Amino acid sequence: MKAKHLLAAAALAVLFGGQARAEDATLDLVGPIADYKIYVSENLQKLVSDTQAFTDAVKAGDVEKAKSLFAPTRMSYEAIEPIAELFGDLDASIDSRADDYEAAEKDPAFPGFHRLEYGLWEQNSTEGLAPIADKLMADVNELNGLITNLTLPPEKVVGGAAALMEEVAATKISGEEDRYSHTDLWDFKANFDGSQKIFELVRPLIEQKEGDFVKKVADNFATVDTTLAKYKDGEGYQLYDKLSEEDRKVLATAVNTLAEDLSTLRAKLGLS
Amino acid sequence: MSRHPAPKQPVDNTRRRLLLGAGAAAGSVLVPGAAQAEAAAARHHVTDAPTGDASFADRWPFYGEHQQGVTTPRPASGMIASFDVLAQTPGDLEALFRGLTERLVFLTQGWTPPELDPKLPPPDSGILGPVVAPDNLTATVSLGSSLFDDRDWLKPLKPKKLQRMTKFPNDALDAGICHGDLVLQFCANRPDTTIHALRDVLKSMPDKLLLRWKQEGTVPVIPPNPDGRVESARNLLGFRDGSANPDSGDSIVWVGEAHDEPAWAVGGTYQAVRIVRNFVERWDRTPLGEQERIMGRRKPSGAPFNGHTEFDEPDYTKDPDGKVTAHDAHIRLANPRTAESRKNLILRRPFNYSNGVTKSGQLEQGLLFICYQADLEAGFITVQRRLNGEPLEEYLKPIGGGYFYVPPGALSPGDYVGRTLIEAAREGKASPT
Repeated sequence: MKAKHLLAAAALAVLFGGQARAEDATLDLVGPIADYKIYVSENLQKLVSDTQAFTDAVKAGDVEKAKSLFAPTRMSYEAIEPIAELFGDLDASIDSRADDYEAAEKDPAFPGFHRLEYGLWEQNSTEGLAPIADKLMADVNELNGLITNLTLPPEKVVGGAAALMEEVAATKISGEEDRYSHTDLWDFKANFDGSQKIFELVRPLIEQKEGDFVKKVADNFATVDTTLAKYKDGEGYQLYDKLSEEDRKVLATAVNTLAEDLSTLRAKLGLS
Repeated sequence: MSRHPAPKQPVDNTRRRLLLGAGAAAGSVLVPGAAQAEAAAARHHVTDAPTGDASFADRWPFYGEHQQGVTTPRPASGMIASFDVLAQTPGDLEALFRGLTERLVFLTQGWTPPELDPKLPPPDSGILGPVVAPDNLTATVSLGSSLFDDRDWLKPLKPKKLQRMTKFPNDALDAGICHGDLVLQFCANRPDTTIHALRDVLKSMPDKLLLRWKQEGTVPVIPPNPDGRVESARNLLGFRDGSANPDSGDSIVWVGEAHDEPAWAVGGTYQAVRIVRNFVERWDRTPLGEQERIMGRRKPSGAPFNGHTEFDEPDYTKDPDGKVTAHDAHIRLANPRTAESRKNLILRRPFNYSNGVTKSGQLEQGLLFICYQADLEAGFITVQRRLNGEPLEEYLKPIGGGYFYVPPGALSPGDYVGRTLIEAAREGKASPT
């Protein structure tokens, strides 16, 4: 397989000169993609064990324990969301919001993390949540199996850096993701980390040629880190409503700029 | 106001009139005539009304076998307004239909509101001036499933395929902008004309109709090509929309005797409305090559990958493996162009909408999708099912709309839209009211 690629790249180099760089870049990505696969696997393992503890607490009727496990459990999902989203049905089942259903929270079809969040925070109860918890656990296990057997498409991995920022920009920066628990800053942190991980893995491939770009992106990630660090609270983060208007604007600007800049990352790596 | 008084006689060649109407607005901007240039030199204020001469000449007949606004060429502005109907008896519903028809005739044919005692509120909002010119206005009445479901005497008359719109997997329906007992589609050259029409109806029938939601939209006005051919307008994703629209032939759009529908419904059509938000910031950050792969067309020309213009037909028989046009490209899923898929053709008549900013600070804009078909199941619902899971979904979120039935047209003065339904209801009742 690899030899074939090399051959093709060599042939292209002869035929098209400059265009062959795209092929070279694809080959260069083999290492970063393999490393990313490990990152995904680690997050998946953590997601499975955390979801087990979280859903166990829900089923045991332990509202306080379940509440304390909700936000940290979500982080390993949010970090690898672009890969999880390759399985759209499961993503909808695990992480959709009340807005996705016409009858909102009252809709019997409303599933997953946010349905449990609604019960725990808005109703301060685990009543009726056991089947939803079981389904979430089953979905997470299924996702784990599917992703473990998946060959990660390079354009999806590299595109994932931007996709994570798009998610934050379109539907998270407003604090509407975790609207009952207001633990949005945990999600932000995981989304940024997931995006930054991809960027850092491919960074050596473009550092030389794209120094200004690399610096600008790295600076924006640093701005996000510094801003979020202000809200660190123990192992996690303060509630979204503690986020100052000024810092919200700083984060929103960083997200938009990262989304713009990272949208060119695929092209810079020769991916279509 | 106009230096070229519009002819007072309606022009009845519909096609020619459309070209005049659509061309007039674009022409006045793009190729100013000598007279306009003189006028501009003489007097120019930034708040001057934009000049154009669409007026009484731009008028569509209201009466006919079918309602207007379905196969009528689409002008630049459109609006869907959805209402709750208060009528509970055939008599009340007839009064609504008659009153509504009367207003829609005035509005689409043009009229001069009377001068009243200034101590009274004016009879007309006045936003189009003292003389209300039709400005190409069409008004199309349609009926929702709930109108029938909530009235025992209407239940047996519900069109067979009419149903409450339910969620497709990628939908995030907002109950506040879904469904309705009765819908009005207004289309005109200018948005002010559709707003005027809505305000007239609201003012005229407050005891009969309660506004639920509305959505306005526009399409860009473009001049025809030198050869007279008009290209399809672009949507807010920057792609031409409507290239493969079928000719508005009878069999696709209008319910006839052969369709398994109640007799009163013959001459009508099903209307599907969808408010489809576009994530335009994200789309604008997507590589051009991917945008084109997702759509299945070239962005600048609108041509399929095996053609040169948007009117060239994609040939999938030569591309069974999806190497030219991916199997999950939007146009290939929507219309696979097989003998079998011909019965799923729909007549699209969409408008672009732009509503402001979301909570997250992104643009709230997209497509006010409207389509017509003689069979809702074989048409929109089947097409949308094929599109479920398409790559374009990442950039779309359907948030509102509904399914409605457009009853046949009012035939002549004295007739009214909805008559065949009222008559059928009366026939079905032992003691009509």
